[in-house]
Amino acid sequence: MIERRVTVTNRLGLHARAAALLVRTANTYKSALRLERTDGTASADAKSILSVLMLAASRGTELLATAEGVDETEAISAVCGLFAEGFGEGERVDKA
Amino acid sequence: MTRRRRIEGQETRWRGLGVSEGIVVGRVLRVFNGARQVYRATLDEKDVEREVRRLRAAVRLARMQLLAIKARAEKELGAEHAYIFDAHLLMLEDRKFLQDVGRHIREDRVNAEWAVKVAADRLLAIYAEVKDDYLRARGSDIEDVTQRLIVALSGERHSYKKLSEDAVIVSEDLLPSAAAELDFEHARAIATDSGGWTSHTAIIARGLGIPAIVGLRDLHRHARTGDRIIVDSQQDVVILHPSDSTLEHYKSLEKRTPRTNYTAAEDGDKPLRTLDGKEIVLRANVELPAEYEDVRRFGARGIGLYRSEFLFSHKRGMPTEDEQCKAYIEVAEVAGDEGATVRLFDLGGEKMVAFGAELERNPTLGLRAIRFSLTHEEVLRTQARAILRAAARGRLDIVLPMISDVMDVRRARRIINEERVRLESEGREVGGVRIGAMIEVPSAVMTADKIARDVDFFSLGTNDLVQYLLAVDRSNEGVADWFRSLHPSVLQSIYRTIDAARKAFIPAVICGEMASTPAYAVVLLGLGATDFSMTPSSIPRVRRTIENVKFAEAQEIARECLECETADDVEELVRERFTEKWRELFPPKSLPAPRVGG
Repeated sequence: MIERRVTVTNRLGLHARAAALLVRTANTYKSALRLERTDGTASADAKSILSVLMLAASRGTELLATAEGVDETEAISAVCGLFAEGFGEGERVDKA
Repeated sequence: MTRRRRIEGQETRWRGLGVSEGIVVGRVLRVFNGARQVYRATLDEKDVEREVRRLRAAVRLARMQLLAIKARAEKELGAEHAYIFDAHLLMLEDRKFLQDVGRHIREDRVNAEWAVKVAADRLLAIYAEVKDDYLRARGSDIEDVTQRLIVALSGERHSYKKLSEDAVIVSEDLLPSAAAELDFEHARAIATDSGGWTSHTAIIARGLGIPAIVGLRDLHRHARTGDRIIVDSQQDVVILHPSDSTLEHYKSLEKRTPRTNYTAAEDGDKPLRTLDGKEIVLRANVELPAEYEDVRRFGARGIGLYRSEFLFSHKRGMPTEDEQCKAYIEVAEVAGDEGATVRLFDLGGEKMVAFGAELERNPTLGLRAIRFSLTHEEVLRTQARAILRAAARGRLDIVLPMISDVMDVRRARRIINEERVRLESEGREVGGVRIGAMIEVPSAVMTADKIARDVDFFSLGTNDLVQYLLAVDRSNEGVADWFRSLHPSVLQSIYRTIDAARKAFIPAVICGEMASTPAYAVVLLGLGATDFSMTPSSIPRVRRTIENVKFAEAQEIARECLECETADDVEELVRERFTEKWRELFPPKSLPAPRVGG
């Protein structure tokens, strides 16, 4: 099993779009993937969007990601990558 | 109070929050969320498995509907608004949720509808407790998905009748999928009882460019389909049963509101000129039949960019030659005498994985657009044949996307010519097409003078040009500060490209969203651009700006911009000079915002 700490950095937190991306990514791996709030108030199956949304992880929330299975290394780095990139979240940049 | 007045209804005003700008006078179309009553039925033991199968079938049906809605929303509203349906798909297929529903059916021996409702209610109760506002609001997504599932269990599908010309959607809260299923072409405005700035209603309305007011408490209960209604999002007010004088007042206001200004087309036939007489052409960027009407309505001079990859569908894959030919003929007809420029498929990367392409580490820099078409030659040949055949029926040109240098142009040209010869030898009628290059890759900018000798015209794709030139992914918020459309390097590149075209005596059309912002359009004008293609609804706005400025003055400012060191300097210069010269035309809000702390 691998554990890694991640922080929600995108503006809207783990909202519908980010959660969808996370769940889609998680489901491409065989390993079991879980996310747990470091304050211990909630934990979620990263392959279930309803579960992930219920983490209510807003910007700044710290989570503990764990992966267990044959492809746990790849799985955890893919998931952590999403957090690191802020889920590719962009706002309209052109100010006009 | 006369009896008659009662029947007609008295003028009543509702205050709400305007979330998308504009004024509309129309008639109410009440839309229900379609929440239905669900009853509990107890099953015989032997029927339990059949009920589970019925649930699975309903999930499949709902899934198909959501996929269709998502595809449509992507096309009509843009990918950034369609993600919500991706979340809905995942909710619909959520293992935990479906297990939960299945368990209810098996253990409690209840009908699937009831099991769905119980499982959904339990989830909703948990969501109602969540402290975060945004996430709490996701409860409405769960409701939406479970409603869809319950409707699917009955074998029905949501459907809305064709809207009348002046329909104002009045609803308690427009669930996202209901909103996306609406007949967008005819919805003139949206008014809902609940919702906020970030509600889907608001997002969708802004995407459509129609006015919307939310938070109207109990309007839905009082309005009847067919009632006269006024939506004024500038005053945050909705007026039901307006009096004659109110109606008249608003009708004149409505005419003056730019959003709904259909009169723009009337002078669309006159050539557009700057104050000092330079003729400017405004064309339309188009990808969907839904937008064809806008081409004429907003007075576009033909179609400057038709994004043909929208013909490609994930369900049916690559369109056949005949299907394409038909679509191109239609585009040519819409464009009329001015003609349409078909951009060859901008496909590749993640879009094509399902069709056997490899997942690339860096799709933006990968095998896409012309590179994809040159690698999968049959794709290019089929498309070329379809366009050449369609060109016999209307004026069409071809533009090659993502050209790196003149080699790409030559290879594509050779293939297109081979297909022309083949069609002719088959005795088929073909039309003459001009072939142009999209200039959007820095290497093409640097060698624009060389490329210009091998093509009939240039199209400048500013969106991708900025992205490639500055090496900034425009969807990555982390580098948003580095994405600057007015970066001196961008302006230099555009200037250089236009100059190369001018020296080779070929036209250069500016495509891309930059041109649809009036302030940017004037900068582009100053750099020598006289031919633009943009979202049709932006045309009236840009037209008004251009006819009120002098080309020579724009040139003067652009020359100064080219000398600037940084994007900040350019923006500051634009703010200063534009305010100085055209205070009326450019209120501060329309100019690039000053950067804080920069």
